[in-house]
Amino acid sequence: MLQIQEVEFAYGGSQAVAGCTFDVPDRKVTGLIGPNGAGKSTLMEIIAGGLTPSSGRIVFDGTEIQGLGRIRVARLGIIRTFQTPRELTRLPVMENLVFAAPNQIGEGPLQSLFRRSRWAAQERELRLKAESLLEWVGLTKLREEPAGSLSGGQRRLLEIARAMMAEPKLLLLDEPSAGVFPAVRKLIAERIREMVERGITVLVVAHNMAFLSDVADDVVVMAQGKVLRRGTLSEVRADESVVAAYLGGGHVGGTS
Amino acid sequence: MNLLAEAVGFGLVDAAVIALAAVGLSLQVSVTNFINFAYGDFMSFGAYVTYAANAAGLNFFPSVAVGAAGTGLLGVISNWVVFRPLMRRKSRTLILLICTVGLSFIVQNAIVMIWGPNAEHYSVTVGNALHLGPFLFTPGDLILIGVAFTLLLALHLFMQNTKFGTALRATSNNDDLAQACGIDTGRVVMWTWAISGMLCAVAGVGLALETNSLRPTTGFNELFVVFGAIILGGIGRVYGAMLGALVIGILTEVSAMFISPVYSGALAFTVVIVVLLLRPQGLLPSRGRSA
Amino acid sequence: MLYFIADLLALGAINAIMAVGLNLQYGQAGILNFTYYTFVAIGAYIGAVTTMGHPPVPASEETFILQWNLPWPVALVLAGAVAGVLGLFMVLVVIRRLRSDYLAIVTVSLGFIVWDLITNYVPLFNGANGLFNVPYILNGATASEITYTLEVFGVAMVVLAVCVWVVRSIFRSPYGRVLRAIREDEVVAASFGKATTSSRVWAFVLGCVMAGLAGALLVFYVNAWNPQGFLAEESFILMAAIVIGGPGNYWGAVLGTFVFVELLSEIERYLPNFGNGALVGAGRAVLIGIVLIVVIRFRPDGLIPERWLRWYRVPAGGGQGGAAGSQSRGEPRRRLGWPWLGQRSEI
Ligand SMILES: Nc1ncnc2c1ncn2[C@@H]1O[C@H](COP(=O)(O)OP(=O)(O)OP(=O)(O)O)[C@@H](O)[C@H]1O
Ligand SMILES: [Mg+2]
Repeated sequence: MLQIQEVEFAYGGSQAVAGCTFDVPDRKVTGLIGPNGAGKSTLMEIIAGGLTPSSGRIVFDGTEIQGLGRIRVARLGIIRTFQTPRELTRLPVMENLVFAAPNQIGEGPLQSLFRRSRWAAQERELRLKAESLLEWVGLTKLREEPAGSLSGGQRRLLEIARAMMAEPKLLLLDEPSAGVFPAVRKLIAERIREMVERGITVLVVAHNMAFLSDVADDVVVMAQGKVLRRGTLSEVRADESVVAAYLGGGHVGGTS
Repeated sequence: MNLLAEAVGFGLVDAAVIALAAVGLSLQVSVTNFINFAYGDFMSFGAYVTYAANAAGLNFFPSVAVGAAGTGLLGVISNWVVFRPLMRRKSRTLILLICTVGLSFIVQNAIVMIWGPNAEHYSVTVGNALHLGPFLFTPGDLILIGVAFTLLLALHLFMQNTKFGTALRATSNNDDLAQACGIDTGRVVMWTWAISGMLCAVAGVGLALETNSLRPTTGFNELFVVFGAIILGGIGRVYGAMLGALVIGILTEVSAMFISPVYSGALAFTVVIVVLLLRPQGLLPSRGRSA
Repeated sequence: MLYFIADLLALGAINAIMAVGLNLQYGQAGILNFTYYTFVAIGAYIGAVTTMGHPPVPASEETFILQWNLPWPVALVLAGAVAGVLGLFMVLVVIRRLRSDYLAIVTVSLGFIVWDLITNYVPLFNGANGLFNVPYILNGATASEITYTLEVFGVAMVVLAVCVWVVRSIFRSPYGRVLRAIREDEVVAASFGKATTSSRVWAFVLGCVMAGLAGALLVFYVNAWNPQGFLAEESFILMAAIVIGGPGNYWGAVLGTFVFVELLSEIERYLPNFGNGALVGAGRAVLIGIVLIVVIRFRPDGLIPERWLRWYRVPAGGGQGGAAGSQSRGEPRRRLGWPWLGQRSEI
């Protein structure tokens, strides 16, 4: 589904991604782990079209997508969440969801004025769908709250529901389980598995091993911008080079 | 050729004034991360306080010191009352920008209410013009350039050699990181407002001397020239601002001499826009953010 | 007194058009346009030169372009169109490249350039003197002052109704939602494949068209075009009024402009002049500045926040019509208490 080939990227002088190559297999959850500063988020950003790699290719469903820009990448069906949740704070939760739906008829200025009956019909369906997604993540009661008033865990859930609303083919999740209570973490893991059953491919960054063992079919370990190892979680955890990278990769900070 | 040299000479005087203001504003923008539309009115305020002190019988240079102190205080108070609470709340840049517009209204019109809308003049004069090589300067011009140069040099030494200067530079690079390193960023921000207020007061006095009139809108009208300088130099980059001031000062004077003085304002704005569009990071080569 | 009220109404309607347009730009699309009045001025200029015909007295030395003699409704539409096209040019050049705060500087700068050109380039704009003898519309030449005022009020209300219809439709539509999403977080909007640039461009252009319409109406009403009336300060005041009233909510914007742009300046006109002659005007500006800062500090969503709009909380399954109608008829339900104290139990 997604192939990452020799991707490199540097911020100013510092090489954040230094020649990364791996595949994300279809209808599987691929975990992406690595110590802080390994370049995971940067790689996610590159895949999502927010950054253009200085070299290398990213192939999605047979087409090269590197440097296409966020909008076109999203329209291909690659949807992402953010490491720090970025909901539309002053809009109600419901609007946050409905907004994400692709191909809305009334999204053009003229259509919004002159195609009212058509978009209104679509809008009704989208709201029903959003409603069911809210139930799916247990946020129904907060439907009308401004998204900015949600707690950290609720924001993570909202981001996941919002991503689902966009009907993704490939979902990029950047630390969906960071900073949430164990119960919510379980719920999130469950939901991710359900997405895969619905035919979505997932690439997920996470630090939490319990979470990963719940969701990931396979993990890729990154360190200092490179892929260190790939395998199942237990294989990877047994690998000494991985342990070494986590403990002494030259970066401060733990693995939370 | 002679005309050109004269224009460049005038440009140098302009540049001295603009540089003071631009460095002050740049310092503030680099630390607070929003652009301040009230800055021009701070300049007027400084010039008016100087005028008042002078009119009350104080000598001119002590009056300038009073004006500078008053404007520094105004900056600190504005920060305290208006900006600090909003920054704490992590308000958007746009909201802070709109607040500076509100502040500009208040300061500019408070000046009108206190000192009236009409032009005032300082009791000092700049003296008669004299030739210095190809240039034409008044003694006042020379003092102005000297003062600007001294102040900027002092600021430079202060920034490079004191602990506070280091803290300031750290905060402007990355305030979260600076805070994590134990720097009291609140205090740094406060002193930044004070310093930038003092610099702009001196610039305001210079401006009023140079144009030989002081109006409530004097500073505001100069604001966009100052913006031009800091945009040329790269927003928030203090040394770039000096270069930008030099370029814009000379450019406006030369164009005033050779095209028409009425369009020199429009020219400054055009420079602002073109530079923003083509090189939003300023004219100097950009430095990498991380080591 | 009657005339005072009529005048207030007419100017109120014209100002409301501006408020609605600027609110579309800032409140919905999040574009900080500090030079809205430039587009009002352009609309006014076009409205003037396309209806004035040749200078009535050749020796009057008014110089201006076009000198057409169009019927006023055509001139009105043309004024909106020209302002819109110029807005399109401006926004196309700047919007993609600039952070929103730099964009604000660019808008002010452009406004100053235009103003410099207008006041200094006599052949085109008759310089700082402006244009006089702009013809009355309708039967204004013969009617009494108060009748004419009421007529202009009527015309302005029709234009306002159209503008409100447009803005309301946009606000309630998916397009409006995209605009708000971009305003909240452009990166998120792009990450969901929304056309961030073109959405904002069109919102900006529509706002400029409304500015042009308002400008033309203004020039028909006062029969003169004076560049001094279009200084940058006016744009700042308008922007302040909208932020105070409630950006995002067109009622808030209209209220804000009515109180702060119009009522205050009208009251100012009737106050005796005391102090140093400019005291009252300056006092008004100081007041606006203080109110602006206080509102931003203590009521960041403005006096009438966006969330009060009735359609804003659409019930489940409700489409456009049903949305407004079924659940929350009448006063919008205002949630009491603070959001972070309620409904935490779930997670
Ligand atoms: N905007 C930026 N400018 C400069 N350097 C950056 C920027 N963002 C990240 N970096 C650097 O790039 C490297 C990779 O960062 P990245 O955020 O991709 O790491 P990560 O693997 O996601 O780490 P974490 O687990 O902390 O999220 C780090 O060294 C970081 O300091
Ligand atoms: Mg990360």
